Amino acid sequence: MPRPERGETMVRLDGVTKIYTKGGVELVVLDRLDLDVKAGSFVALMGPSGSGKSTILNLVGGLDIPDEGSVTVGGVDVDALSPDELSAWRAANVAYVFQAFNLIPVLTAEENVELPLLLTPLSRAQRREQARFALEIVGLADRMDHRPKQLSGGQEQRVAIARALAMDPEVMLCDEPTGDLDRASADQVLGLLRRLVDEHGKTILMVTHDPQAGEVADRIVKLDKGTVLVEGAEA
Amino acid sequence: MSLGFLAWRHAWSHPVRSLLTVGAVSVAVFLVCFLRSIVTSLDAAVTASASNRIVVGSAVSLFQSLPIAYRTTVGEMEGVEDVCSYTWFGGRYQSESNFFAQFGTDPEHMMRMWPEVVMPAEQKRDFVDDRQGCIVGRTLADQFGWKIGDTVPLIGTIYRRHDGAEWTFNIRGIYRSTKANVDEVTLFFHWDYLNEVLERGDADGPRGTSVLMVKIAPGYTPEDVSLRIDDHYAAGPQRTRTQPEAAFQASFISMLGNLPVFLGSIGAAVLVALFFGVVNTMTMAARERTRSMGILGALGFGREAPLRLYLLEAALLVGLGAAIGLLLAWGSQDTFRRLLGTQIPMYHVTTDTMVASGVVALVIAFLAGGIPAFQAARLRAAEALRRGA
Repeated sequence: MPRPERGETMVRLDGVTKIYTKGGVELVVLDRLDLDVKAGSFVALMGPSGSGKSTILNLVGGLDIPDEGSVTVGGVDVDALSPDELSAWRAANVAYVFQAFNLIPVLTAEENVELPLLLTPLSRAQRREQARFALEIVGLADRMDHRPKQLSGGQEQRVAIARALAMDPEVMLCDEPTGDLDRASADQVLGLLRRLVDEHGKTILMVTHDPQAGEVADRIVKLDKGTVLVEGAEA
Repeated sequence: MSLGFLAWRHAWSHPVRSLLTVGAVSVAVFLVCFLRSIVTSLDAAVTASASNRIVVGSAVSLFQSLPIAYRTTVGEMEGVEDVCSYTWFGGRYQSESNFFAQFGTDPEHMMRMWPEVVMPAEQKRDFVDDRQGCIVGRTLADQFGWKIGDTVPLIGTIYRRHDGAEWTFNIRGIYRSTKANVDEVTLFFHWDYLNEVLERGDADGPRGTSVLMVKIAPGYTPEDVSLRIDDHYAAGPQRTRTQPEAAFQASFISMLGNLPVFLGSIGAAVLVALFFGVVNTMTMAARERTRSMGILGALGFGREAPLRLYLLEAALLVGLGAAIGLLLAWGSQDTFRRLLGTQIPMYHVTTDTMVASGVVALVIAFLAGGIPAFQAARLRAAEALRRGA
């Protein structure tokens, strides 16, 4: 994927509609939504439940496909990729951080971080080195042998961020990353995400309900009923 | 780390469940091996039979003796190279539970005609020279702790001594068998010794011999010689039924009914039960790991990743269970040879049986892992994350 310069468009949703059918009833989650996100920026998506925030992340990451419109990331038309191309593209360019951390419970912190690196041609030693480096960035080098159950919520989320970082993605998609954390842990995680934008040039889309989390972002996009309600200016 | 490593960790994330599954597979594979081995062991006695030997018995019944004079007459017939008598003794050793076969025979002829009975030369000579001598199979010797020089007392049930005493035989040799048609749990003694006691009037019992084993001379066919013998005795005094050694062996198996079908049905039922058990385990595992599969999708793993993980996990559990079951089957051969004793004296587990059981187990693993694997592979990552939440 060509890497846009900071300030150029990294993510573009153009007239995107997404409809889910549940129990035979159609539910319009996104309604002809347009959204632009610049490279190297930190955007917070806020809004009530069901407003389509997480769906945007799924579409940008190629986990879901729009019913109408297009999703472009770094100039790549995501919904035009085949399932295999999409998997490879996702592995190389996009990383997820979830509210529920979503670590594999049977693996240690280091193994969780190493997991996506299995998709690269790196040797075992190189993978381990990169995983340890990512854990150092999030300040958990001393917890690499711990399993998720042995970590606090904040530490689990930092391991999840390290896992996201390990692949050196252009775009990080964070779905309420502080939703399950206490204030102190949440501030730590938000500080870490901010640093990744400022120091490593990552583009972050973060879904959050937390106003304080929104303040860390460069820009807040407020959604309601599948459309953009208020779009803050880029900081 | 690798996907195989992840599958291994997944497999042991519920150790009790996994151990129970491995245990169930072990027992099932062991049982399938055991049942198949019974059939193959019985078959082996048939297939290992010599093609140049025929067995002459009474046309009326196997329990009807032939006059001993037949031994000489048959031995002089065209196409007969050698002949040996075998007389069922039916003695009891210590108690009824210690049942094993005993035959009165013609030692020198027996040695010539049965090259598959192997013993040191001096033991053969001692057996031939001692009128009251006997030889025993090594499994039988092991079972009762017998050694050369020991005396075996047998209580006659067919041949009863008038003084109520036991028949005693001196162990002069311990043989081993090189082929499955001769077992290692039989005692052979001199027919002449039995006949002498009967002739002296010291014991009662049927005269004659149970069967004659005939070795065909080179250049003659078993069919022609069999026909010649049966034609010769068509008018009596005792009509004969002559058949190849293999057919004679097979007639004993047929007495047990259609054993292969019966045992095969049990084996098939065991495999079906095993299949459902492993499917149940893998379905539960898959349900618990829906979210993990969504995570793999979100990380960029293709749809083949869950497929490979579930198949690997099933293969690990079933493979481990199968390996234990196969080892048990292999390691318990001596025990079963002893336990099955006279019923299936040459019980053994063939390599074919081991390979076939292992392959069947892996096919079950593939099918059992495949069902949840294909379901998981069809699920989009976003849906898997939603369902697993």
